[in-house]
Amino acid sequence: MAVVETAATPRTTLSERLVGWISRTPVHIALVVLALIWLVPSVGLLVTSFRKRPDIAASGWWEAIGDLDFTIKNYSSVLDAQNMADAFLNSLFIAVPSTILPLMIGALAAFAFSWIAFPFRDTVFLAIVALMVVPIQAALIPVLKLFRELDITDSFIGIWLAHTGFALPFAIFLLRNFFITLPRDLIEAARVDGASNLHIFSRVVLPLSVPALASFAIFQFLWVWNDLLNALIFVQNPDQRPLTVTIVNLQSAYGAEWHLLSAGSFILMLLPLLVFFSLQRFFVQGLLSGSVK
Amino acid sequence: MTRYRTFLVLLPALVVALALVAAGCGGDDEGSSKSTGTVSVFSLWGGSERDAFQKVLTGFTEKTGIKAKYEQGRDFLPILRPRIAAGNPPDVAIIPRPGVVADFARDGSLKTVEEIGLDTDALTENLSQSYLDLGTVDGDLYGIVVKANSKNTIWYKPASFKQLGVQPPEDWQGLLQIADKMRSEGKKPFAVGAQGSTNSWTLTDWFENIYLHQAGPEKYQQLFTGELPFTDPTVKTALGEMTKVISDENVPGGIQGVLGTDFVTSIGQVFGTNAKAEMHGQGGFVGGIAIGQVNTKLKPITDIDFFDFPTLNPAYKGALMGAGDQAVAFTSNDDVKALMEYLASPEAGEIWAKTGAIISPNKAVPDSAYPNELAVKEAKQLKDAETFRFDGSDLLPGTLGQSWATTLQAIIQNPDKMDQELQDFQSSAEGEFEA
Amino acid sequence: MSTPAAPGSVVGKPPPGRLARLGRGSGWQGFFFISPALVLLGALLVYPVVWTVRLSVDKGRRQLEPHEFVGLDNFKRLLTDDRRFLDLSEFPPSGALINNLRWIVLYTALCVILGLAIAVLASRVRYESLIKAVIFVPMAISATAVAMIWLFVYSPDPDQGVLNAALQGINSGFDPISWVGREGTVNYAIIFAYVWASTGFAMVVLSAALKGISTEVIEAARTDGATDWAIFRRIQLPLLSLPIAVVTVWLIINVIKVFDIVYVMSGGGPSGASEVIANRYFIETFDGGKGGYGAAMAVIMLLMIIPIMAFNIRRFRSEAVTR
Repeated sequence: MAVVETAATPRTTLSERLVGWISRTPVHIALVVLALIWLVPSVGLLVTSFRKRPDIAASGWWEAIGDLDFTIKNYSSVLDAQNMADAFLNSLFIAVPSTILPLMIGALAAFAFSWIAFPFRDTVFLAIVALMVVPIQAALIPVLKLFRELDITDSFIGIWLAHTGFALPFAIFLLRNFFITLPRDLIEAARVDGASNLHIFSRVVLPLSVPALASFAIFQFLWVWNDLLNALIFVQNPDQRPLTVTIVNLQSAYGAEWHLLSAGSFILMLLPLLVFFSLQRFFVQGLLSGSVK
Repeated sequence: MTRYRTFLVLLPALVVALALVAAGCGGDDEGSSKSTGTVSVFSLWGGSERDAFQKVLTGFTEKTGIKAKYEQGRDFLPILRPRIAAGNPPDVAIIPRPGVVADFARDGSLKTVEEIGLDTDALTENLSQSYLDLGTVDGDLYGIVVKANSKNTIWYKPASFKQLGVQPPEDWQGLLQIADKMRSEGKKPFAVGAQGSTNSWTLTDWFENIYLHQAGPEKYQQLFTGELPFTDPTVKTALGEMTKVISDENVPGGIQGVLGTDFVTSIGQVFGTNAKAEMHGQGGFVGGIAIGQVNTKLKPITDIDFFDFPTLNPAYKGALMGAGDQAVAFTSNDDVKALMEYLASPEAGEIWAKTGAIISPNKAVPDSAYPNELAVKEAKQLKDAETFRFDGSDLLPGTLGQSWATTLQAIIQNPDKMDQELQDFQSSAEGEFEA
Repeated sequence: MSTPAAPGSVVGKPPPGRLARLGRGSGWQGFFFISPALVLLGALLVYPVVWTVRLSVDKGRRQLEPHEFVGLDNFKRLLTDDRRFLDLSEFPPSGALINNLRWIVLYTALCVILGLAIAVLASRVRYESLIKAVIFVPMAISATAVAMIWLFVYSPDPDQGVLNAALQGINSGFDPISWVGREGTVNYAIIFAYVWASTGFAMVVLSAALKGISTEVIEAARTDGATDWAIFRRIQLPLLSLPIAVVTVWLIINVIKVFDIVYVMSGGGPSGASEVIANRYFIETFDGGKGGYGAAMAVIMLLMIIPIMAFNIRRFRSEAVTR
């Protein structure tokens, strides 16, 4: 049915709305099916994390929903006996500096690449962006040896530096591309007023860049929190192990203990999900500005 | 205003500077290091096995006042290697593979028993020569065997056997007949858990038992030290027997089920409350895991028992395949010396044996130390064995053991591709044995 | 959210002229600002790559240090004599490298197609934000957690794994399949799990791009009697070709490096069937202690990513010019 008027006219009659809705049924069905595929796996593990150990082996979680015979023992067991509470704090202790450092160092550099003229600036910028191609495997062992020289392998400094180094190219790329969109007039006005670069950076650019900074920060925080490989190699002191490594160790040499793995997995997911739901906007923005106009 | 600006710029510089300062202050000591009052011990045990070892460490601390920290990891090699490369290894590690111990020794990463200052006389008194040989690499003793187990066992449920009207078999044919009988009654005779890369060792154990009892201890040793190729007809024959046991009709879920089930779950398939199979063909430690983790209501001997691996060739009846874990030291100081001494002592052996988690290789540990008859039975097996052979896949160097397990996984899935798989494995093995 | 310049462009320069007036002092300051970054990048990325290349032409078996130069032996062996890495002896070819190719094709295609489909479908309903949130949530989850979630779904025990249970529910004679335990299915099982986690990315980007298409054009087409499908094919899809390309490139780069999910879900098994290059690297370096061999694999990974990145950068550049 062709709409004769402009798009501004809404459908008014009930029958027209109904027809519209029905013709959309395949869409609704498709979306519901997709939503199910996307929700069921996580829900399954979540329900399992509250079930008693023998139950898990005996029957499917979908049968258990009606039962309501739940327990929080898995969580208490995993937090206490498996040191997940410590691991949680470790994850936090690793993620926060690993986010702040590249943010600050990257912002400084990005500012220079955007608003300070110096020789070879664009070439260096390109070179830094090119570093994004380096897979961590090409850097693991030498960085490890470097940390040995610096004697920092038994502390958190190692993994902070590792995460910072690997994140800098992307940080600089992202932030620089945002900084140059700032109003030129503002910056030049500040310059004319005699403000130093440092002043412009901290008083003009940074406050205007909060969305971009926040986007990178959230992106980086989640990336570090969820990381496994860096932690496996650089966190060598078992007391400092973050959640990801701890969970993988629960997959012990003998097999999967689902009552622990399910609870552990959700503890791992808790913070990212919280961050995601409260700061979704920034997270999405980070993704978009990194890849599209 | 000035302070804020300065702070903003200085902070990242400060952190980087701190890191470099830490570098300057840190001393890197390759030789013997100072005792700190704590020793770190690394191994891969979790669950009940870890709790058992913890008791030994507690005994150590009570006796010497030195604290011991147990560190654990799922895949011990990827944990140890980066730590060694970073100059940050644990003080002591307990390693189940002599091949790996040899690797590390040749690497220069380990300290010899002499370097640590242990009393070799006391060692020779308590450990038999074959155990000492295991820990010796190129003439120097590096590893002390602290835990032994027999793999010469097949676990079963006496109640099921009684119901079926059969007795534990003496020979291989007998075992196959029992399996037939079980199948005719609608039961699955065996359960095997060989999932992924962490559980595939179960297949290597099955193969090694069959090979040892069929081809004999000499060929066994030659095979796993690179003198006999894996394409030898004896290997094929043994594999043929193995595929008779691990076949689609004999296990729950068929071969695919085997490859999708992990070790502990497979024990549960026989001894759990929702049992799906009758027999389990892995080592002595199955008992401890079955009773301790899978089904705490099991009563040793009555509900769960094992019989010796059946004979294939009567000439090799007295051969026994087993394994053992060695304690090795990466650093050398007084604390480490104390711990190694303690681990080698009968005292530690007794404490550990009491938990039922291990059989001690220490001759001075009495039978009475073992908590149940199953453990005593296993210890007796180890003591009475005429010829002892170490778990083959653990003898293989580098990643070859893992490769072999992977090859076996491929063979049980496609037995007709056996020749090709063995050839491929042999060519990669040749490369490893050379290096 | 329109911006004056193109944020995605790599070499878009700030306008010249006025800034050049600042001449004296500004150059020095520039280096001051970038020096912490340069120090860290040099120490943690540049120097290591050089070191790794050096290690790749060595045996590297003594505590992962270089000790015996072997030239291009490692590379030769990898590409011609390592069945687990690349096996061209029979059809279809197999090996970790082939698995990565499998990932590149399937994972990328599925993410883009699903992402696009969901973006389009969701735009037609009122609960669009809800649907998009549901699809997007897995992006926040660690690959480790994704692996656990899906290992559980794929469990061969129909009392645990919902997939087998569902299939058994539909057809009671169904034999439960060990999705992660079988050579034939393991790769697809893992790929699909990761697609589940990543489609949100494609969807978000494509959805934003979709909304950027002017509604007037669409309405005009509708007035002319075009069906929804025709509108999609003739108007929306072509305008989306750029974002699709961007998403695709990003996904491919990620896939070449994929590790966590395979490591946790299957460890590369069964029989190495699901190994990707990153797994082989991990095993050869840390299980086998073969530092040089692993380094060669890292170099190969690097070489695979470079052309794709170059393509990406060149495209950004050409855009900055044409716009």
